[in-house]
Amino acid sequence: MAEGEPFIGLIIVGLVLLFTIGPWVLSLIATFLYQPSQRKKLLARETAFAATGDTLTTLKKPFGDKEIKEFTMVSANVVMSPSWVQMWIGSIITIFGGEINVFTKIVDWARREAKQRLREQVAEAGFDAVINVRFETTVMSRTRGGKDRTSGVEILAYGTAIKY
Amino acid sequence: MSITQSLGVVTGSTVRAKNVFKDIGAAFKNIAGGEIVAYTELLQESRNEALFRMLNDAAARGANAVVNVRFATSSVAGGAAELLAYGTAVVAQ
Repeated sequence: MAEGEPFIGLIIVGLVLLFTIGPWVLSLIATFLYQPSQRKKLLARETAFAATGDTLTTLKKPFGDKEIKEFTMVSANVVMSPSWVQMWIGSIITIFGGEINVFTKIVDWARREAKQRLREQVAEAGFDAVINVRFETTVMSRTRGGKDRTSGVEILAYGTAIKY
Repeated sequence: MSITQSLGVVTGSTVRAKNVFKDIGAAFKNIAGGEIVAYTELLQESRNEALFRMLNDAAARGANAVVNVRFATSSVAGGAAELLAYGTAVVAQ
């Protein structure tokens, strides 16, 4: 039994490390490897669409005096969440103030994703453009221990798809 | 197409929450960050429901179209969200 004890101790130390440092290591990897790779994929999708010009516009009427033959409402949404590491960096910056660039990055990413989904959805349905595009932002939170924790930011992009 | 009659503002709303298991899944995804697909789907479904209720309201008033539709969203409590769709019910010909 005397030989078994250090082995059990090692397992306990291992388990403690797994549940304390483990998520943080995972979060670190995700923040600096997984997220940039996802953003690169999004950029590739955006570049594929950029060649023909942006179909989205906030104008209430389409440019020029083309006649609209068909129209429908379209919307696209996405919920993005900052990682633990980003939340931690964000909370540190809050002490000093100024731009919290880790959060800017997440919200900007979500908005780009929503815009791109709208473009793809509209192109697939055979529409020419989307007018009167609007954005809606919501913070989703989860209550834990009497404190509201941010679990994600939702971006909704919606507008009127038109066919000339 | 022209609008012949305006029938006032119509609204539709719903408050939804995802089940506890999906919330746990989302909590794990929070570690890594990035898109939480479960919440994206939740909000999409709920928004469709809100839109449907708004259309029902419009139909009850005898409108055949709703123009200038807008969405508003708010997080009411932890894990639950209220989705509101509103617009102007009209008769268009």
